[in-house]
Amino acid sequence: MSLRRTLSQRTLWAAFALLPLLSPGIGQAAQDTLRIGAPLPLTGALAPEGTKLRQGYELWLDQVNAQGGIKAGDRQLRVELRFYDYQSSTPKAVQLTEKLITDDRVDFLFSPFGSGAAKAASAVAEKNGVPFLASSASSAEVFDQGYRNLFGLYTDNSTLSEPIADLIHARLPKVSKVAILARNDLYPLSLANEFEKSARKRGIEVVYFERYAIGTLDHAAALAKLATTRPDWVVITGYINDLILVRRQMADQHIAPEVLTMINGPAYDEWIRAVGPQAENVTTASWFHPVLSYKSDDVFGSTGRFVELFRQKYGSAPDFTQASGAAVGVILQQAIERAGGVDRDAVRAELAKGGFNTFFAPVSFGPSGMADSYIPPVYQIQDGKVQVIYPRELATGEFRTGVGR
Amino acid sequence: MSRKSWQGLILVAAGAAGTAALLGLADNYVLRLATTVGMYAALALAWNLVGGYAGYPSFATAAFFGLGAYTAGVLQSAVSLPFPLAWPAAAAVAAAFAAALGGAILHLRGHYFAIASLVVADVLRELTNMWTDVTGGGMGLNLPLLDVGGVAGQARFYFLAMGLMAALATLLTWWTDRGRLGMALRCIEQNENAAQVIGLDTRRAKAAALTLSGLIAGGTGAVYASWVTYIDPTDVYDVLLSVKPILMALLGGVGTVAGPIVGALAFLALEEVLWRNVLEFHAGLLGLLVVLLVLFLPDGLRALRRRAAAGG
Amino acid sequence: MTYLQVLINGLALGGLYACIAAGFSLVWGVLNIINLLHGSLIVLGAYLAYFAHQAWGISPFVFAPAAGLALFLPAFLIQRTILERVMGKPVLATLILTFGLNLFLDNAMLYGFKADFRKVIFDPPLGLLDLGGVLLPLDRFYATVAGLALVLAVWALLRTTHFGRAIVAVRMDREAAALMGIEVPRTYALAFALGAFMAGAAGSLLSGIFPISPVASSLYLGKAFVICVLGGLGSLPGVIAGGFALGLIESFGTLALGPELALTVAFVLLILLLMFRPTGLLGRQGFQ
Repeated sequence: MSLRRTLSQRTLWAAFALLPLLSPGIGQAAQDTLRIGAPLPLTGALAPEGTKLRQGYELWLDQVNAQGGIKAGDRQLRVELRFYDYQSSTPKAVQLTEKLITDDRVDFLFSPFGSGAAKAASAVAEKNGVPFLASSASSAEVFDQGYRNLFGLYTDNSTLSEPIADLIHARLPKVSKVAILARNDLYPLSLANEFEKSARKRGIEVVYFERYAIGTLDHAAALAKLATTRPDWVVITGYINDLILVRRQMADQHIAPEVLTMINGPAYDEWIRAVGPQAENVTTASWFHPVLSYKSDDVFGSTGRFVELFRQKYGSAPDFTQASGAAVGVILQQAIERAGGVDRDAVRAELAKGGFNTFFAPVSFGPSGMADSYIPPVYQIQDGKVQVIYPRELATGEFRTGVGR
Repeated sequence: MSRKSWQGLILVAAGAAGTAALLGLADNYVLRLATTVGMYAALALAWNLVGGYAGYPSFATAAFFGLGAYTAGVLQSAVSLPFPLAWPAAAAVAAAFAAALGGAILHLRGHYFAIASLVVADVLRELTNMWTDVTGGGMGLNLPLLDVGGVAGQARFYFLAMGLMAALATLLTWWTDRGRLGMALRCIEQNENAAQVIGLDTRRAKAAALTLSGLIAGGTGAVYASWVTYIDPTDVYDVLLSVKPILMALLGGVGTVAGPIVGALAFLALEEVLWRNVLEFHAGLLGLLVVLLVLFLPDGLRALRRRAAAGG
Repeated sequence: MTYLQVLINGLALGGLYACIAAGFSLVWGVLNIINLLHGSLIVLGAYLAYFAHQAWGISPFVFAPAAGLALFLPAFLIQRTILERVMGKPVLATLILTFGLNLFLDNAMLYGFKADFRKVIFDPPLGLLDLGGVLLPLDRFYATVAGLALVLAVWALLRTTHFGRAIVAVRMDREAAALMGIEVPRTYALAFALGAFMAGAAGSLLSGIFPISPVASSLYLGKAFVICVLGGLGSLPGVIAGGFALGLIESFGTLALGPELALTVAFVLLILLLMFRPTGLLGRQGFQ
């Protein structure tokens, strides 16, 4: 009697364990639908960025489907995006990427947010031969595996540091000392290393280079140490919250260098609002800003139109993360249209050829898969507004020096 | 044969059948899930040796896991050591670390031991973060892709590798359970002072348990690193890697051989169901379930079985 | 001169840190529960202060007791209904239980408030005290003074009021206290609620200086741990000593080793202390 009961209990538990496998399996995509996998950090520490990326994707989705879908040869394909939440956890992002490929049978993939998760997930995409577009990865370390399926929208981190270093070297030759404070995370640290290289190349001495742990909420001690080195140029890397905090704490300690460069943060409206007058004259760089004005052959037609449509849908101007989401959609669409179909090899070949004229920037990919066809403009906050100060063709303002206390 | 031996045989048979079925029929995603089950079963068993048998609430599992992962990673990427050597080396390093740690903190009891073990993972994580030249620091570490076949081949290989870790862990646990070490640990769990009085070398026993725990967790970390091919400090030293194995052991029954395995299976099934169906608040619901677990099922699932048996 | 600045930086947060740890120390010392929920309670207090500031313009430094009070009753109920069931059970049970509660609260906050960092913005900004070249931001100064005041107030409470003495009595000898007519379960619940009060108040003070987000809860929990062990369990003066000690360690540690190692130094110190001097700087067995 009790053995039977034991066995039935075990059966129950075994069935319970197998439950997830019974969840409805998702079959092959319908003939006239293009399915794209898009793992996103909808919860967890990166949730704000995940939301932004999603907004970009969905704006593109709206436009594409409104215009009848993607023209692939003689078929019109409706686009479907598959979102899953990887909870800002890299291992989960990898797991999800695999699920999207094997379970949901997506045709193509958009990468998770940022560099770390993109790098990890790209391995899965490569193993399966699925073209994988990275919307927000810019560190060379992400692209050093020799993968053929990985295509990155952002140009290498050195394109963020070189122009600024050039500007400083040209306009302020007296600048001789730079202090760098970096978040100990893939992208911010990689970027900081690029700044170090750019500074050294021009004979600027790196008098301070420290890293702060992810999640640091108090930079006072680090900044106190930084102040003792009396730098002319200060570079801080991190994400928007880190940079809000550092800017305030710098003001608390009256640290006021000739040039203050902060990436990624000042390009966002939220950052400027959060630090108020302390935003003045802070320099930054980013791959996109609504103030740009490209004409393009994509569903948007121009940067201006993209910005306008974004505003209509979401009520605010798009920042570079939001724009990246739409940009990868646009690029994939153009590649499919050029290839005349959704065959992965054909599309991959088209992606590799490059020459995509988008609202974001003219995009072509280099041998490692990173875009190398444009230079991210340098911006400076002047009178509370973002002005482009480099390159000349796009400039809307002149470079100013001196940062407020 | 005794009841326990029957149970053991059934478990082994089920394991073998399940493995064969998965290898033959499952798609890559299911294999991935199964590999994760193997990993967590190994970690739960590793914890069980210290936390279940000896009754010392160790939160150091993540520390050993991360250490194993990084050791294997560095050996393979920097010195190109092939994995059949790198993995055991990593396990050995983690075991040695565990032994040293044991010397430092095993004299502490209860809360103090828990905190000290918890903090160790944080310290190791920061040290790893710092040592950028060797570990890549915050930028993470790339591992070479192992040459074990295409996509399907990779999936099967790692399923077997984790399965092997789980099997080894089970074997070690079974050997401990039946032998003198197990008896010593049980005595310590019941009443450590009395155990000392009757002449048991409690220090040696506890240290042995912690070392074995480190060995298993470290080896599992090494396999994990190759499986995901890219690791960074925040991922491999995550405190959840210390907490989830405890939950699994609690669920299945601490201080037993099969308990952690059953617990791992049940826990992961639960997580998967929750995550598929409740997009936004699954972690919070998990917290709620944990609370319910501790309040109403302190002996794990076995209590359900006992109650059902008693009721029938 | 730099050293003076670093010193001031280190001391500037001491009182606040003491407030962060006081509640945690109380619960640990009296109920023998390591309250993993503590960090999240701090964050909750911070959110309450933030919303109060948004809605009514109340300074978070002034709002602190109110934030604490808001958490008092719910915490009392949680202890009475949930935690009471595991009193006396093995350490693991209480740890896992509070871990589960913490997971729930953290994610509830994430779901409700989102992960974006909120910041109380003072308009006009509070500014700095310039002490002969050494700068002290006023927000930190207020927070530390208020934090210190709260801790001292609780200390006085424990020494003078009836319910305070009951808490101490229960800690020293549960059975004897029960024999004396003290209602032990209710006292436990009151102590836990008092711990939550301190957490909420600390969160409110914190919100005046640092950005708030549910993802920060484990950071504050970690600091509470270290402060308790540094200063010694079971003693409010110990918590004060520990708070200032941690501030100084972080400040000078950063100067010597760089910011990334500051918290690591604290943790290593924690382990060393646990190994050799678990009673910390000023600890005693009882709770006075």
